[in-house]
Amino acid sequence: MTQFLLRRLVLVLPVLVGILFVSFALARLIPGDPCYVALGEHATKEVCDAFRLRFGLNDPILVQFVRYATQVLQGNFGASIRSQRPVLDIVLERLPMTIEVTIGAMLFSTIVGITLGIVSAVRQNSAIDVVTMIGANIGVSMPVFWLGLLLAYVFALTFKGTPLWIPPSGRLTSGLILPPLTDTFHLTNLSGPAYALVTLASNTVTFNALITGHFEIFRDAIWHLILPCAAVGTIPLSITARMTRSSMLEVLGQDYVRTARAKGLRERVVVLKHALQNALLPIVTIVGLSFGGLLSGAVLTETVFALPGVGTQLVTAILAYDYPVVQAFTVIIALIYVAVNLIVDISYAYLDPRIRLQ
Amino acid sequence: MKRSSSLMRLFGMAAVVGILVGACAPAATPTAAPANTQAPAPTAAPAATNTSAPAPTAAPAATEVPTTAPTAAPAATNTAAAPAFTGLKFAAPDCTYGGEMKSIEAVDQYTVKFTLCVPDPAFLSKVAFTTLGIGSKAFLDANGGDSLKMTAAPVGTGPYMVKEYVKGDHLTLVANPNYWGPAPTVKTLIFRWSTEAAQRLLELQSGTVDGITSPAPDDLAKVSADSTLKLYPYSNPNIFYIGMNNTIKPFDNEKVRQAVAMAIDKQHLVDNFYPPGSQIAEQFNPSTIVPGFSTTGDGATWYKYDPAAAKKLLADAGFPNGFDVTLSFRPAVRVYVPQVAQVAQDIQAQLAQIGIKATLKQEVSGPFLQAVSAGKEQMFLLGWGMDYPDATDFFDTHFAGGLKNFGTQWPDIIKEIQAGAQTADPAVRQQHYDMVNALLKQHVPMIPVAHGAAAEAFKASVGGVVIGPVNENFQQMTTASGQLVFDQNAEPISLWCGDESDGETIRACNQLYDPLLNYKFGGTDLIPGLAEKWDASPDAMSFTFHLRQGVKFSNGAAFDANDVVATYDAQWDTKSPNHKGNQGTFDYWTGLFTQFLNPPPKSN
Repeated sequence: MTQFLLRRLVLVLPVLVGILFVSFALARLIPGDPCYVALGEHATKEVCDAFRLRFGLNDPILVQFVRYATQVLQGNFGASIRSQRPVLDIVLERLPMTIEVTIGAMLFSTIVGITLGIVSAVRQNSAIDVVTMIGANIGVSMPVFWLGLLLAYVFALTFKGTPLWIPPSGRLTSGLILPPLTDTFHLTNLSGPAYALVTLASNTVTFNALITGHFEIFRDAIWHLILPCAAVGTIPLSITARMTRSSMLEVLGQDYVRTARAKGLRERVVVLKHALQNALLPIVTIVGLSFGGLLSGAVLTETVFALPGVGTQLVTAILAYDYPVVQAFTVIIALIYVAVNLIVDISYAYLDPRIRLQ
Repeated sequence: MKRSSSLMRLFGMAAVVGILVGACAPAATPTAAPANTQAPAPTAAPAATNTSAPAPTAAPAATEVPTTAPTAAPAATNTAAAPAFTGLKFAAPDCTYGGEMKSIEAVDQYTVKFTLCVPDPAFLSKVAFTTLGIGSKAFLDANGGDSLKMTAAPVGTGPYMVKEYVKGDHLTLVANPNYWGPAPTVKTLIFRWSTEAAQRLLELQSGTVDGITSPAPDDLAKVSADSTLKLYPYSNPNIFYIGMNNTIKPFDNEKVRQAVAMAIDKQHLVDNFYPPGSQIAEQFNPSTIVPGFSTTGDGATWYKYDPAAAKKLLADAGFPNGFDVTLSFRPAVRVYVPQVAQVAQDIQAQLAQIGIKATLKQEVSGPFLQAVSAGKEQMFLLGWGMDYPDATDFFDTHFAGGLKNFGTQWPDIIKEIQAGAQTADPAVRQQHYDMVNALLKQHVPMIPVAHGAAAEAFKASVGGVVIGPVNENFQQMTTASGQLVFDQNAEPISLWCGDESDGETIRACNQLYDPLLNYKFGGTDLIPGLAEKWDASPDAMSFTFHLRQGVKFSNGAAFDANDVVATYDAQWDTKSPNHKGNQGTFDYWTGLFTQFLNPPPKSN
């Protein structure tokens, strides 16, 4: 297992170099001039020359790349061209929102999707099966932004004044204030990774509220996460449900399942232990892959629900030609992909001992 | 966006003027001079001179002496203690640097005097602008004028102060206990932002916010029809026009331009493509900008819509069968033209009625503006939103600053505009502007089409709402909870406005800082701000402001004249240690006062 892990980790290195290069190149492929976007359409040549000099935009591309790669490896993503703020601070502010929505959507889609898939497989061709599969087809066909608007309209407007009302946007109800963890725990003079981790945890509102005992705020945060998570999680839910159903149907027809039943095991044990564990492999693949969809869906979902996450920031940065911010977020998103793929690989090895030996 | 867009044009113009003036001036004076040297004997200092010597008794010249004044306590009885006030003064050595400002001086603890290089009747309107909100000198010094640092914990004298700023999500302001004016009725003011108009409206309808900016034109009827909401349209001084370049045929022929002017049915355009409250434009200058807007004379009304007369005039000009023309525009949504593509198509159809075949050319915004400025567009659709309420903001930037938008500028128009800009007497100014409007009608460099209306929407339960072209009266509004949540287009870029130009940042700064004067809520009339009274010299070249006493900043520090001088100097002098800001461009300073002191050297 250790060897397997090491092999996978070594393979990640060239991917990281590729990510750095592609993120750098992509940001520069955006057509247009960052000076005129940052300083306005009528910025004079003198002002723009000074601007380019300040941000090193006149240097050869290779020099810019080496400078960028060196800085990133030191954990320094530079400063935003638009706001002058350290990009790392912006990442630490925005990432938690996207992580919360993505994890919420993952939980929603995986738990509900697998459950529905199992029920559909066990009761194949029953009314539940038919309804679930029709629902899954509709769910997978609905664009995220449209579903988001629909959910917001139904729950925020149609149910206005009823207990079913759910806020259409935002992270917390206006007026609620959650103190940062540095204040709560009197943490001062943090720097480096400790600062990054504490800030990340602090800005993860659900986590912060939970560990500091602000349960009212925790409830409020979850309440605000319901619609975005449902919107972004519906497509992977549908895919997971369909995949679980077909995978389970295949496994339920295997000899060892018949043997398990013949031994007199309870149906629950047969389905959840003998069948499901063997059916999980393709499901894990799908769930891992859908993580990418969740992240890209976050761009649309965050716009629809006005959430301060990676997606809205990335769009703003691209429109403003804010190279350092675009690069940083591209790298971060790519790193998350790599990490998720690694986790999927590891879970393969855990679920199927044969893979460990390959 | 409107502000930003029009500002950039202003900024560009100011830069052009600056370059021209700079080219005519002795080159070495401003750039070679040391800046803001703290010197006890400043008389010989070649550039801006910050005089801070303690004793004024031996000072040789009134304009360059260290200005020292006693504190509020009577000097004879003040044996204990209040330190003497040492007034700051910054002055340009002369006016060859090309800017409007000559000196800024704290005459005493509560008196500030501005001396200008040229007459500026609009000066009072300019000092009321948000970017000239006064910050604390100590705070500026402590942060080196860095917008980023000052945004972390802004210090101002405004009605509100920052309680919490969750970047990307919301900004929570609370009433400033040290505010010199009436205590705000809204105790907690929260700004949120969403770029999507539909999203903002959804939030308002669902009740999570109390007010929103800029509902989409298509949604205005929906808001008006909802009894739980209330729409607040407001006059937004702007102009949408059709430009014609007199260096590109056939617009070199004045009769052709006049004929086109008669062929445009403005009422049709306003009725079909503008929100309620918009008006057809009879003049380039909006009606709220007086002096500037003419009520009498030839320029008071534009040509009547008369396609038959237009066709006849076109024939007289030698084009009985019309001609081909390229009509260019950019697909940008602006208050002055919310649906430009549809408007362009309609104008195309209207021109066809008199035989002019217009080919529509939609361009990317940046290149389009550059082509217009370079005088390369034959016929184009463009507009302008007000930066500050004065005719100079409209006339000077378009028809007297050397812009090539309309080709070669007309000397008779330039002469009247310059006379108007440098005349203090409002009645005499208006006479000059009456001439300008008449000449614009005669020469037709452009056809004024419409003044677009803007609107904000609030819950009907929010009381006392007054919305104007330059501000909202959040501090006077009423809500049941004393909290008001306002959803605007975008997040403020920073919370120090000296170096910002976007409307969202300016809205936040309006709550945190006070300029010397304020615009009255709902309009552009000037009312006292940090200055209780002010005097203007008859030639409009010297302005003295008498400041409120006892005002404190939100951090408890006392406010005095040096705070005013330091705030202005940080923007004026590029060599000031506090001239940092955000991008360091200070667009509005050059827009308002033409040039920086010690302007950066020009590259080739």
